[in-house]
Amino acid sequence: MSFLNRLLFADFPEWDDPEQCGFQRVTIDQEACDGCKMCVIVCPARVLELVRVDGKRKARTLPDIRGCISCNNCMAICTNDAIRATEHFHLAGYYENRGLGAFRPPRTSFPGP
Amino acid sequence: MSQQAIARSEIEAEVEAKEEAESPSRASCEEGAEWNVIERAFLTRRSIRKFRKAQVPAHLIRRMLEIGRFAPSQGNCQPYRFAVVREPDLLRDMEEFCVAECKKLAGMTDYTAHEKGSLKRYAAEVVTRLVAASDPGAAHPVPMLVLKQIAEGRFTVFHRAPTVILLLVDKHGVGIPEIDIGIVGTNIVMAAESQGLGTCWVGFSKLLNQSPAWKERLGLDERFQISEAICVGHAVGKPWQRVIERATHEIQWFENGQKKVVY
Repeated sequence: MSFLNRLLFADFPEWDDPEQCGFQRVTIDQEACDGCKMCVIVCPARVLELVRVDGKRKARTLPDIRGCISCNNCMAICTNDAIRATEHFHLAGYYENRGLGAFRPPRTSFPGP
Repeated sequence: MSQQAIARSEIEAEVEAKEEAESPSRASCEEGAEWNVIERAFLTRRSIRKFRKAQVPAHLIRRMLEIGRFAPSQGNCQPYRFAVVREPDLLRDMEEFCVAECKKLAGMTDYTAHEKGSLKRYAAEVVTRLVAASDPGAAHPVPMLVLKQIAEGRFTVFHRAPTVILLLVDKHGVGIPEIDIGIVGTNIVMAAESQGLGTCWVGFSKLLNQSPAWKERLGLDERFQISEAICVGHAVGKPWQRVIERATHEIQWFENGQKKVVY
């Protein structure tokens, strides 16, 4: 019964509709990037590339980074702290994310009420 | 000689008084204190998908499995067995098989490959909805995205790791044995992290269960099937150099007759 219910009524989001299935955004600070290429190497989804800009190597994201799986290893591997990838994927309908708050570094004290 | 049982409450009161008087609590961390070594390991752990070619010493794999052996499990039934694969030919064949399976599955379910409004898209979407209705987790957009990428050759299954540990689950275990797999795997992953090695969980390894040939080759049966795999190797770069911020989660807090929600 719950199977039929889900099949007929569950609101499964369309994978290729960015409104319903949004994935992480990655930005690379072109000033800070020294072209060390580590992010390009570790990206499992291969959505980063290395380009030559005015004779200097720079990493940048592909125009379409829908393959990004939010592993965040580009950010972890960057020696210049040039990469920001702080937005989690957000999904609509049946898979809607709930109960998630803001991004925070790990905390050891908890002020406030 | 007369014997008389001493009341439980009396013993408990004695122990409590003794504990309070003599031994300070083991947990003595002040608010705001630095992360300890173990906590720090959890914060710097990342799922590594790019490994150096060099093999990991066998004794380190044995050592992390020893830590796994001491994991808690439901009813202490320890419903897991391990298969360690360090043979390049075998790893290559596993990878090829899983990629081929992903291609088949993506061919059936990936409706995004077809034009909107087309009959092909509609047919594939019906298949996907069937999958989603029977097993919503399997049709979650994130694994489906990865499935498509593996099929397109843009993503690897075992990430060319030099060692893969297959976690076999005993279907006859207590309660939900897969939960114990998660716990034993965490022990293994964190032991590896503490040794300076990189790991990654691979759920797509389950695809091997579907093949009689692989069952034979890996010695799987009805009781012991692949639940998860953990890739182990030396990470490329220094992914542990920085702790990455992540989403907070809703916490419902009940205390002093009140309920509050914190993040």
